[in-house]
Amino acid sequence: MSWKTVVGLEIHAQMSTRSKMFCACVRSTGTAPNQHLCPVCTGWPGALPVINQAAVRRAIRAAISLGCGVQRESRFDRKNYFYPDLPKGYQISQFYRPYALGGEIPFERDDGSSGVLPLVRIHMEEDAGKSVHAEDGTSRIDLNRCSSPLLEIVTEPLQMSGVEAARCVRSTRELLRWIGVCDGDMEKGNLRADVNVSIHRQGDTVLGTRTELKNLNSFVSIERSVEVESARQALVLEAGGVIRQETRLWDQDLEQTEEMRGKEDSPDYRYFPDPDLPVLIIESSDIDRERDSLPESHLARKTRYIDQLKIDARDAESILARREFGDFFDQLVAAGLSPASASNWFRGEVLKHLNDREESIEDYPLTAASIAEVVEAVEGDRISVAKGREILQVALDQGCSPAQILAQTGEQVSDEAALIGWVQQVVDANPDAAEKIRAGDSKPLGFLTGQVMKASSGQAHPRLVQQILQRLIQHD
Amino acid sequence: MSNRSSLPPMDATVGEAQQWLADGHCTSRQLIDGYLEFLQGVGRELNAVVEIFVESAQQAADQSDQRRAQGQCFGPLDGIPFTVKMNITTQLGSSDASSPMLRGFQAKEDATAVRRLRAAGAVLVGKTSCDEFAMGASNETSCHGVVSNPWDRERVPGGSSGGSAALAGSHGWSFHLGSDTGGSIRQPAAFCNATAIKPTWGQVSRRGLIAFGSSLDQICPIARDAVDCQSVLQVMEGHDPLDSTSLRQGTSSHPPIGRVALISDGLGPGIDASIATAVRSAAQQMASQGIEIIERSLPHLEAANACYQVISTAEASSNLARYDGVHVGVRGQSKDLQQLYETSRHQGFGSEVRRRILLGTFVLSAGYQDAYYNRALAVRDLIRQGIDQVLEDCDALLLPVSPFAPFPIGERIDDPLALYACDILTVTANLAGVPALALPCALDEEQLPIGMQLMGPHGSDHALLEFGQRWQRWNDQHRALPEGSTR
Repeated sequence: MSWKTVVGLEIHAQMSTRSKMFCACVRSTGTAPNQHLCPVCTGWPGALPVINQAAVRRAIRAAISLGCGVQRESRFDRKNYFYPDLPKGYQISQFYRPYALGGEIPFERDDGSSGVLPLVRIHMEEDAGKSVHAEDGTSRIDLNRCSSPLLEIVTEPLQMSGVEAARCVRSTRELLRWIGVCDGDMEKGNLRADVNVSIHRQGDTVLGTRTELKNLNSFVSIERSVEVESARQALVLEAGGVIRQETRLWDQDLEQTEEMRGKEDSPDYRYFPDPDLPVLIIESSDIDRERDSLPESHLARKTRYIDQLKIDARDAESILARREFGDFFDQLVAAGLSPASASNWFRGEVLKHLNDREESIEDYPLTAASIAEVVEAVEGDRISVAKGREILQVALDQGCSPAQILAQTGEQVSDEAALIGWVQQVVDANPDAAEKIRAGDSKPLGFLTGQVMKASSGQAHPRLVQQILQRLIQHD
Repeated sequence: MSNRSSLPPMDATVGEAQQWLADGHCTSRQLIDGYLEFLQGVGRELNAVVEIFVESAQQAADQSDQRRAQGQCFGPLDGIPFTVKMNITTQLGSSDASSPMLRGFQAKEDATAVRRLRAAGAVLVGKTSCDEFAMGASNETSCHGVVSNPWDRERVPGGSSGGSAALAGSHGWSFHLGSDTGGSIRQPAAFCNATAIKPTWGQVSRRGLIAFGSSLDQICPIARDAVDCQSVLQVMEGHDPLDSTSLRQGTSSHPPIGRVALISDGLGPGIDASIATAVRSAAQQMASQGIEIIERSLPHLEAANACYQVISTAEASSNLARYDGVHVGVRGQSKDLQQLYETSRHQGFGSEVRRRILLGTFVLSAGYQDAYYNRALAVRDLIRQGIDQVLEDCDALLLPVSPFAPFPIGERIDDPLALYACDILTVTANLAGVPALALPCALDEEQLPIGMQLMGPHGSDHALLEFGQRWQRWNDQHRALPEGSTR
């Protein structure tokens, strides 16, 4: 009899607000330690938390997009435990009355069908700081991350594979990125998941005892840990053992899970309502405002690209890998390019530049309008495609505007007499190549074209050059 | 330096001292110097004041004098001395909550209330002793030592705002900031013959108040009379963006108090007869001035103290978790993390604070939370409803502050339950979040002060203070100073 694996997820997503959850400190990742601190986020005596409304707005957007019921009244509670990177001795979270209930994560099943993972709830909370344990046995505390705003998305348990569990997290990540709630950077820990795994025999009505794997921060680790842990549980059960409810650690290198603490050792968090924070009221008008300002959904946009702009489905997918990509593409179209050439230049050039420069599109220095200007010059036969690409590259390298370079670039020469002059000059200088072509070998054609382009300082119209080359050589 | 003869009388209120300055009888600098002299003399003898800020106070007074000379006086508190309880943060000096845990702790900023008062020209002259983390009713748990009651130096001044009350009870010209979680401003006011108000919860920003029981805590003024308390409250109150539980102003206006319910439960068994008699006769005096007096029972009064102990200790156990030896506060010697927590918290906290942290941790623990914390929350709702119910029928409740007179130093400190009994009549106002005004009422046969309190509905702080002003026109007990404190 085969085993069925059931997975439940707790996804922690850091919200991409400017400031922290309860103070005005800059929310930062990757800066020098302990640069963004104040009495509130470090728990100094007398300091009090104040809810960051920008975080609440993002939380509402996430809840709407995941189909949750946003609660009119919710509360913040204190989760009490001692840890050196938790300076107040408690974490402010929403335990008893979270702001969002229900909802679901859409994902693709292994057989290609579409599935949904139901949600229990989403709540807001603050992150802890970071403990850095050095090899010499000392530990250092970095409180930059402390009190950053988090969403915790808690799902129901659902029968699924490790791959499917990873897909659920990926689907959530893409959605949160799409609506601007979380940057989804898993390497920085800005999105991470706890995974609950249990197995049962096919036909059993009761779920097996679950174990929890904490702080998984890659899709691979989610996928593999579910597979490895369910296999471990099967081995234990088949050997007549029992699964204890416990928290386990995933070791990525060894590909195994190890016991961290049992249920009986789990801390008593002594949750109680935080008296420093009033009841959070979210009016239906607040929800409407966020709904109205949500971007067009990924699916609606993709459909629009395919149906109206006649973009190939695969191309649409890569243009919409991030909402900001799609926005840039839209700007290219708005600047006057046809959807087809906007798609070609965006995928062929812009994405290549971002990749080469390891740059995010937010930092990309070229504007859609300036790229469109270059493309229009190409399509108007004023410059060659290669020249157009070169202009964009030079503009990036030199930090100037493509228009400037375009202005200094001589117009493409299509005048037949001038072209024949350059071609004749090149053919005369390379009799061997011309001979090969006459003998039926078209390979040197590219070389000769290159020579003509060189002789013309790049101004010759390459397609016309090739036509003239063939004509001249054949008729020679 | 100051010219004695030009200073106001010692029992002068803030309002009178301000008039004295306005009339040009003395400068603020002379007033401040005179007050500093009192702090360094009697203030030190009573052990009420821990830190005195001579230079900065003199500077601030000089600036106030310049403003006055230019006709730009900031108002009723400009150039007036005030002190701040050790559990309220100030940029000047330390803010240690009278605990070894925070010895030498320098806050980065003034509490909002302090900032507003200084901006109104009031002159910060010192920090006062209190019970450790405001946990106590006798000022005997302070790491700065026992404070004496100016009316009888062998007796306690009450607590936790004992230092503030001892100063307010022995000299005029000034006001003091204390705090009240379960009676911590009212009971010492009653013990020292001062006037104080515990405002509506949220009336005054708690930013800068070192938390004890956050849902109960308020910063409070204590002074010579109700006029002064009102002047101070008017400057401190109002919404503070740094405290999201602070109330927006002008939410409600309350009519003058015309009908007062004498709470019979506060006059029966367990209450000193002399206190019950004094409060009854105060009620009669009010009646003779046209106030309608009715007698009512306050539902669930007997459960209030237990409810308070559970909620205040629960919140305290969480609020004091931040003192862990890692961040703010004492760091003990240790080999590992567990030991760091243990040694730091053992060294840093006194026994009363440790007791309350243990109690609070217990009542929130899995398996006990329903029986204690959640039940206390339910009782708290009943207490709120009970007060509302009585207030449907009257404008304010009248009851004693303390069930007994100031007691000798050392008498109750080893008996926690006897000490907690101090709070039975005061905690109700904190649990319900309503304002309560403590007024001097009489002296008992041993010449010890007796205080009474008036509780009103949410937001009726100023109605209470205006009633207090009327009372103090009918009865001048609040003017009395202890004999020993005259120079």
